[in-house]
Amino acid sequence: MIKNYIKIAWRNLRSQKLFSIIKIGGFAFGISICLLIVLFVKHELSYDKFYPDSDQIYRIVGVANRDNVILKGIAMPAPAGPTLKEEFPAIEAMGRMLSNPLFGAGSNQLSINENPENFSDNGFTYIDQSLLDIFALPVIYGSLAQALDKPNTMVITLSKAEKYFEGDPSGKIIYLNNNKDRPYTITAVIADIPSNSHLHGFNFFMTLSGIDFYPGEQQNWVASNYCTYLKLKKGTDIEPLAKQLTKSYILDHYIPAISQAGMQVNPVLSSAKLILQRLDKIHLYSSDIQDYKLETQKRGDIKTVWIFSAIAGFILIIAAINFINLSTANATRRAKEVGVRKTIGSSRKALMSQFISESLLYSLISVFLGIGISFALLSVFNNLADKTLSIPWNEWYFIPTAISVALILGLLSGIYPAVYLSSFNPISVLKGNISSRSGTSTFRNGLVVFQFVTSIVLIIGTLIINQQMNFILNKDIGFNKDQVLILHGTNTLGDQVRTFKSELANIHTVQHVAISDYLPVMMDGSKRNGNAFWQEGKRTEETGKGGQFWIVDKDYLQTFGLNLIAGRNFNSDIASDSAMVIVNEKMVKELGLKDPIGARITNGTTYTIIGVVEDFIFGSLREEGLQPLCLAIGGSNSLTSVKISSNNIDKTIMDITSIWNKFSPNQKIQYSFLDEGFAALYNDVRRTQNIFTSFAIIAIFIACLGLFGLAAYTTTQRTKEIGVRKVLGASIAAIVKLLSKDFVRLVFVAIVIASPIAWWAMNKWLEDFAYRIDIEWWPFALAGSAVVVVALLTVSWQAIRAALANPVDSLRDE
Amino acid sequence: MIKITNLQKYYRTEEVETVALNNLTIHVKEGEFVAVMGPSGCGKSTLLNIVGLLDDLDEGSYLFNNIEVAKFNERKRSDLRKHNIGFVFQSFNLIDELTVFENVELPLVYTNVPAAERKRRVEEVLEKVQIMHRRNHFPQQLSGGQQQRVAVARAVVNTPKLILADEPTGNLDSNNGNEVMHLLTELNEAGTTIVMVTHSEHDARFADRVIRMLDGQVIMETTTF
Repeated sequence: MIKNYIKIAWRNLRSQKLFSIIKIGGFAFGISICLLIVLFVKHELSYDKFYPDSDQIYRIVGVANRDNVILKGIAMPAPAGPTLKEEFPAIEAMGRMLSNPLFGAGSNQLSINENPENFSDNGFTYIDQSLLDIFALPVIYGSLAQALDKPNTMVITLSKAEKYFEGDPSGKIIYLNNNKDRPYTITAVIADIPSNSHLHGFNFFMTLSGIDFYPGEQQNWVASNYCTYLKLKKGTDIEPLAKQLTKSYILDHYIPAISQAGMQVNPVLSSAKLILQRLDKIHLYSSDIQDYKLETQKRGDIKTVWIFSAIAGFILIIAAINFINLSTANATRRAKEVGVRKTIGSSRKALMSQFISESLLYSLISVFLGIGISFALLSVFNNLADKTLSIPWNEWYFIPTAISVALILGLLSGIYPAVYLSSFNPISVLKGNISSRSGTSTFRNGLVVFQFVTSIVLIIGTLIINQQMNFILNKDIGFNKDQVLILHGTNTLGDQVRTFKSELANIHTVQHVAISDYLPVMMDGSKRNGNAFWQEGKRTEETGKGGQFWIVDKDYLQTFGLNLIAGRNFNSDIASDSAMVIVNEKMVKELGLKDPIGARITNGTTYTIIGVVEDFIFGSLREEGLQPLCLAIGGSNSLTSVKISSNNIDKTIMDITSIWNKFSPNQKIQYSFLDEGFAALYNDVRRTQNIFTSFAIIAIFIACLGLFGLAAYTTTQRTKEIGVRKVLGASIAAIVKLLSKDFVRLVFVAIVIASPIAWWAMNKWLEDFAYRIDIEWWPFALAGSAVVVVALLTVSWQAIRAALANPVDSLRDE
Repeated sequence: MIKITNLQKYYRTEEVETVALNNLTIHVKEGEFVAVMGPSGCGKSTLLNIVGLLDDLDEGSYLFNNIEVAKFNERKRSDLRKHNIGFVFQSFNLIDELTVFENVELPLVYTNVPAAERKRRVEEVLEKVQIMHRRNHFPQQLSGGQQQRVAVARAVVNTPKLILADEPTGNLDSNNGNEVMHLLTELNEAGTTIVMVTHSEHDARFADRVIRMLDGQVIMETTTF
């Protein structure tokens, strides 16, 4: 019996090639997109689950509420971790990590004894030996037991060991930034950090042992720079412990330290508390942690996981609806078969199992074809999503899962067509009449509307994401990011960096040169910090205003095209300028300076303001508003920015390179462009944009396949009507209109339903951006008309065919 | 074999109720060959559908082999049908996706006959209707006469007691039509009861008895010999 069913199914499939291709192809395509998203989501959800005792490891997060804005941060004072460990026996182990570039983490110039050349590399971080113990990373060479106990020791990952050394590098020396006074000894090599760890991206683990970044730093409760991990004893109750930690941290240590430093206690502290974030929550639940971006790793977002899962679900539903519509559309062809089988003695149950086994066959083919398509699309998708996913061919669950999915999908999408087709009355179908019952057509229309609602929401979303993206990339950021070349590692030149700078300035296509580690764009090597500012004399009365303090040189403003709106620029001829600062408008406003020029401000050291620059955007346009900024003259030499003229850039770069080679013959020049760094800041936005665009196109494509099927169905149903109308004199245009009208109505219903949903969803999405567009009417109109046009084209192909047919053919059957 | 008494059948649309068969009483004995004739719309096809258990009746009684089947549900009717009744249609109604062999085999599949037995019986009946050489062809590759011979083969493969034929020669030329009529006669002579609806006086002459209908009623019965 089954053999007979499959035979019929197979012959049907072959005799109607176009129909079968649409049916299976659409389904397979939907399944493949779904599979890719499942792989993505699975990877996102797998973060940090593999560490031994990962359910006992927590990270301390500080939370406070300032004017109803929730502030979250992971940076803790240096002594916080060790002190809390002493005080609370529930803490089995504690380990700290410092990954702030301000202290030499992030990217560095690296050289070894075997090769004097400096290489720029990244993923440097400082950690405690105890953190190595907590994570128990797999070791390749050496031993981790006391690897970071001694000062100036370092543990590196295997890929870096292989990059710089041959074989076991234990005991070998690494110099950072040409600093021969502080050689780091490699004590062990660990396996590369897996891509599904939040530590992925770290490659060089420098010891915190013996470190004091400035005198008293390790005992300083007022400066917060350390990410602190705790390993708790099994069965520890988290909530009460967090409460106790909060109490001890704020009341016993932090507030006394603030008072001792002669500072005001920030009122925010009254709402502040510590929470414990479990290791496996770090990756997906940290997008609201403000200082986390200092670290190198890419963070995930549970919202993305939800959105992607929803999209996968919708695409799968669209594809299944398609399958249902195309199967029922085929009804006229199958009606006679149903009639004959029933006459011969088939029961309705037997017919239903026949149609369900047919859809099982289709869905099995579709699932395996879909897996093939995902395999083909995997590299494209990896590119889009910035992942390195692979299809788990060798996992034991893969094939059984695929087969079960095929069975479930086949069953779900086969039931309706089976019920519908097997319900035909043999007498009437053998006479050639298929009654169209209004109930079933409402059901099918509902399915079509659902498909188009989904497509329209995706299209509107895509349009608005594009608009926002262009808005960000073209927004007036207040500085000039074009034609600025950033030279990396100029700190390796030591004292010669000044001479180097003046030689660069002599190239006639070079306009300005500035030496500073603080770039307006937060890109590789660029630094940020956190400071508190007061008007002079207010330090004990008020809480400070948080802001940035950047070490620059006198050509900084010109090089980045910053606009001085009051006072003067730095002048190297005036010796006292080292005590002078230039601030941004935001600083003037925050500190309430009425007459800023000549005003004195302090962050511990007191400075006189000589100039005010117009606000420029140096944070991300998404996460935060503008911060107060203070620029001061000084030495921060690792980056040199060169503003060049737009003509003959290649020649300019060659000139710069030859000067570099003169100063640093052993080392290759390393440079990048400021505008590229700026664009890279929004890679994830662009990623969302590309993924959304792809999804929208796929969804509308699959939805159109379904519409095509439904149009084919209705057209065959109305063949007789069309014949009669033509005999009575209807024109082809009139018939096309007749057939298209109903579908266009469905699309309009879809537009009405989709618009508010899209408006709501996109409003939510835009809320994450500090600088955002207003939602306008035109994306809605555009999406609507696009869908109407596509739907019309799809339907009219069928309609024209029906209208052109000879009416005699359709009427002869009577 | 068939005892239909006081049969009433209505067709209802939303507003109109049409009487299709009115107080009809028909008896068919086992082994008989009965032709039903009458103008279009007289209800002869409706009668055939009811006899074949494809349609239900509104009033009256239908004894099939002395069993009352008028109130049978869909499953019971289909069960009775597949074991006892074979159909031949004017438009052949072969399944296009199945070969000649598979079309004829289908009724045996539904009655769970084992595969080897199926093959034997299908080949036997295909020999009988002289279409064995076309056993692996699809219906569209055959002439009308050949298709109807396949349809007859399908109707008899299960050795039903009753064959219902609805204008079996309506789509055939006279040569092919005659062949099919001879086939039916042979089957009748071998003991199968046949009820045939026809417009053709010529075909009706093959039957033992002719029932003439008008407006849902039997108006005349003649015996031909």
